[in-house]
Amino acid sequence: MVRIGVLLVILYPSWINAEEKKVLNGLQVHGFLSQGYIKTTDTKNDVFGDSSSGKGSFDFREIGVNASHRPITNLQFSMQLLSRQAGESSKGGIRIDYGFLDYTAITSETKELGVRLGRTKNPLGFYNDTRDVPFTRPSILLPQSIYFDRTRNLGMASDGVQIYGESRNDWGDITAQFGVVFPQVDNKNTEAAIFQKSQPGELTPRLSYIGRIIYERDGGRFRFGISGAQVNAGYDPAEKGDKLSAGSLEFIPLIFSLQYNAERWSFTSEYALRHIDMKNFHNPVLDRSFTGESYYFQGIYRFNPQWEAVVRYDAYYADRKDRDGDEWNAFTNELNNFKGGRPAHSRFAKDLTLGLRWNITPSIMLRAEYHRVNGTGWLSTLDNPNSTFTDQHWNLFAAQASYRF
Amino acid sequence: MAVRFTDYLCCLFLLLLLIGVTPATSGTLDSDSVEVVVHPSVPVRNLSRNSLRAIFGMRLRAWQDGSPIRVFVLPDEAPLHNLFAKEKLNIFPYQLRSAWDRLIFSGTGQAPFLVNSEEEIRTRVASTPGAIGYLKRVNIDDTIQILHIE
Repeated sequence: MVRIGVLLVILYPSWINAEEKKVLNGLQVHGFLSQGYIKTTDTKNDVFGDSSSGKGSFDFREIGVNASHRPITNLQFSMQLLSRQAGESSKGGIRIDYGFLDYTAITSETKELGVRLGRTKNPLGFYNDTRDVPFTRPSILLPQSIYFDRTRNLGMASDGVQIYGESRNDWGDITAQFGVVFPQVDNKNTEAAIFQKSQPGELTPRLSYIGRIIYERDGGRFRFGISGAQVNAGYDPAEKGDKLSAGSLEFIPLIFSLQYNAERWSFTSEYALRHIDMKNFHNPVLDRSFTGESYYFQGIYRFNPQWEAVVRYDAYYADRKDRDGDEWNAFTNELNNFKGGRPAHSRFAKDLTLGLRWNITPSIMLRAEYHRVNGTGWLSTLDNPNSTFTDQHWNLFAAQASYRF
Repeated sequence: MAVRFTDYLCCLFLLLLLIGVTPATSGTLDSDSVEVVVHPSVPVRNLSRNSLRAIFGMRLRAWQDGSPIRVFVLPDEAPLHNLFAKEKLNIFPYQLRSAWDRLIFSGTGQAPFLVNSEEEIRTRVASTPGAIGYLKRVNIDDTIQILHIE
C-alpha cells in the first residue's frame, strides 16, 4: 500500500505535466448526459414513449461525447458521438452527430474566413446547432413549432462543405455560414414524418443548400439571425409492392430569429415559413405543395445564477392557408370515400409552456416544465400511429436531470 | 395572411418596448478593480473592447504575430469572473457560457482553460506563452503584463 502511495506521489507531478501539455496542445473532451421523464395527462397522446400511461415515460435519454483537436491555430478536427433515446423515433443507437475538419484560411483581428469539410450541424435558427445538449436549450423540449423532434434527422446535420466568415466591428459582429450538403434522410424517422408512415422504398439525399447570417450587437445583447435552406430528396420505390412512384421532395425553411439579453431577462422570438413541394409520388395525399408557418415568443427570467424560469407561447401551422385544418379534414375525408378524414387538429399546435431550471452546480442541472397544448401538429406519428385516436387538447409535464463535463 | 404577419410584428414590437423600459444595471466598483493580464511575451499592450470580447468569446485565436492565444478563466460563479465580464467585456457571465457552449457542442470552437483561483491564473498566465487572463489589481506583480482596454 505504502509503495503504491509513494509511486503515486512520484508519478503525480509528471502526470499533471503530461495532462497540461495535452491541454495546451489543443485536445479537449466534453460531454453530457441526461435522463428525462414525460407524463401526458387527460389524453392518449404519447410523447417520447408511453407517456400517457399511469406512471409516465422514462424513455428519454441523451448522451453525447465530443473531442476537438487544434494542432495549429487555424486548423481544428471535431467529432461528437450521440446516443439518444426518445420513444419510437430515436432508439438509442450511437451515431456520429458531427465530424469535420475546420480550416481558417484568412484570419485577422476583425475578420475570419474558413471552410469546414465533413458532417456539420445545420445552422438553422438559434438552437439547432446544439439541440441535443440540455444545457444549451431554453427548456426540456425545444419550441416544437420550429425545432420539431419528429423530423430531427433531416434538420440536424448534413454531409458536405461549409464556408464560414466572421466580421467584427464597432457597430456589431456578423457571422455567416453557407453549406452545400447532402441531408440525412435515410432513416425511419424522416420517412414517417414525410409519408405519415414507414414506406417500403427509400428516401435518397440530393444536393441541398443551407445558410445562416447572425448579427450581434454589444457583445450579444441584441442578436438577429436569418437562416434558410433548400433541402432536396428523392424517393426510390421498392421493386415490389410499392404504391408510391419515384417522387421528389423539396423543403425550403426560412427562419427569422431575434433575441435580447439583459442581466436578468432574455427575450427570444423566432418566426419560420416552411415551403414543402412534393411531386411525382402518384399519391394525392403526398403530391402537394404548401407553406407552413411557425413562431414563438419566449421570456427567461434569472432569479440568480442557480434558478431561472421560462415562459413561452409557441404556434405551429402545417399549412398557413388552412390554419384550422378543416380543408385538410375535408380533403382526406373525400379521399376516404367520406368514411372520415384525418383530424383537423393534426394540422396545428399551440403550446403554452412554463418551466423552471435549477443549476445545482455549473455541471448538474434539474428542470421541470408544463405544457398546455391545443392541437397535435408536431406529435410523432411513430409514437402515435393512428391520428384519429389523438386528442386535440392535452397537457404535458416533463422533468429532466442533466450532467455535463 | 399579411395581417397575421403584421400581428406577429406588433406583438414583437410591444414586447421589445417592454424590455426597453426595464432599468439597466451597472456594476462599477472602484476598489479591487479588475485588470486584463497577459504573458510578458505577448506583443500587444492595448486592445479594443471588441477584440477582447472576441478573445474571451473564443473566436479570435491568434495574436497579431500569429502565435496562439490561450485564455484562462475562473469558474462561471466566481465573483471576479462576474466583475470581469460586466466591467471589461460589458456582457453578462451567462452570455459567455452560452457562447462557449455553442462552440464546444457544435465542434466549431474550443473552451477556455478553467482554473480555480486567482493565484492559479497568475502563475499560469506568467508561465504560458500567449496566455491571457484577469486579476484584481492588488494581485498583479511583474511576472505578468497588464493589457489596456480602449
